[in-house]
Amino acid sequence: MKFTIQVMVPPYTYEDMDTAIKIIEAAMKRGHEVRLFLFSDAVLAANSQVKPIRIDRSIPKKLEELAEQGLRIEVCGICLDYRGVTQEMLIKGANASGLPELAELTMTSDIFVNLMA
Amino acid sequence: MVILVKYGTDHAVESRKIAWAKESDTIVLLQDGVFWAKDDRIKEAEAKKIKVFAIKDEYLSRGCLEKDAKVPLISYDKFIEILEKDTKTVG
Amino acid sequence: MKKILFVVYQPPCGTIWVNEAFRTAFGMYGEDIEPELLFLNEATISISQETGPAKLGMLSLKMVQKYIKKYETKVYAIKEDIEKFCINDIDARFGAEFITNDQVAELIHSKDFVIFM
Repeated sequence: MKFTIQVMVPPYTYEDMDTAIKIIEAAMKRGHEVRLFLFSDAVLAANSQVKPIRIDRSIPKKLEELAEQGLRIEVCGICLDYRGVTQEMLIKGANASGLPELAELTMTSDIFVNLMA
Repeated sequence: MVILVKYGTDHAVESRKIAWAKESDTIVLLQDGVFWAKDDRIKEAEAKKIKVFAIKDEYLSRGCLEKDAKVPLISYDKFIEILEKDTKTVG
Repeated sequence: MKKILFVVYQPPCGTIWVNEAFRTAFGMYGEDIEPELLFLNEATISISQETGPAKLGMLSLKMVQKYIKKYETKVYAIKEDIEKFCINDIDARFGAEFITNDQVAELIHSKDFVIFM
């Protein structure tokens, strides 16, 4: 089945990116095709310049690892511009896209998991 | 439908989401939504034959005790199984 | 066709979510998706003629109203919430249909995905 997970709130401030990662890992383990759409402040999770302190988890690095394992990551381009994150700053495997891609993901998803703002 | 509840018991929207659930729906409590698992109001949902589960790790990590849970505690694997069976979602 | 309901519950003054919910809904028309939008809680004040985020220097709702007309997007508001926020001067440009709190359950259950933001 095709899963899409949408996250809207910023990583580290809220738990949604951690929740999304757990859903992604569990769904991929069961053989599902998984896509992640980062919207609004959640786009910061795909910023490779994020540097958490050593004892904390690196959410961008974790997403990069999941992308290597087949996770498709789409990031709202307008949301990136609003927050000063350029395409060059994105982690490997993340694509700057927009609402046409979100519409395509929504249309082709068997399951759409929205993490409420 | 599978209804996700991620905010706590004082959140105005989550209580309405729970109230709008119907028979055969499933409510999954995650993040601060797990506090509903200890709240008597969640029994009203179960009385309407709505299945309610809470994510175990998120429940225990908030200092809640397993013995106080009024709903079954589940893993993310089980959560994915629930979504596989009922693909309509409210999140 | 997929049926999606966007439920926006945060206020139009001080948060971006009313604008973002409509922007996302309008983005769905590129695919075979029928988006609808429900105002809930504080977001309901959007339909008052007196409400104006632009009065605070924030993003206006004017563009939203223009596209509602263009796409004929279905918009709902809850009668009990309109009364709660003492809204007497409904802005007709939202073209909102008024439903009762009890009717929301049926509306939600008629959709494939319901997205709170």
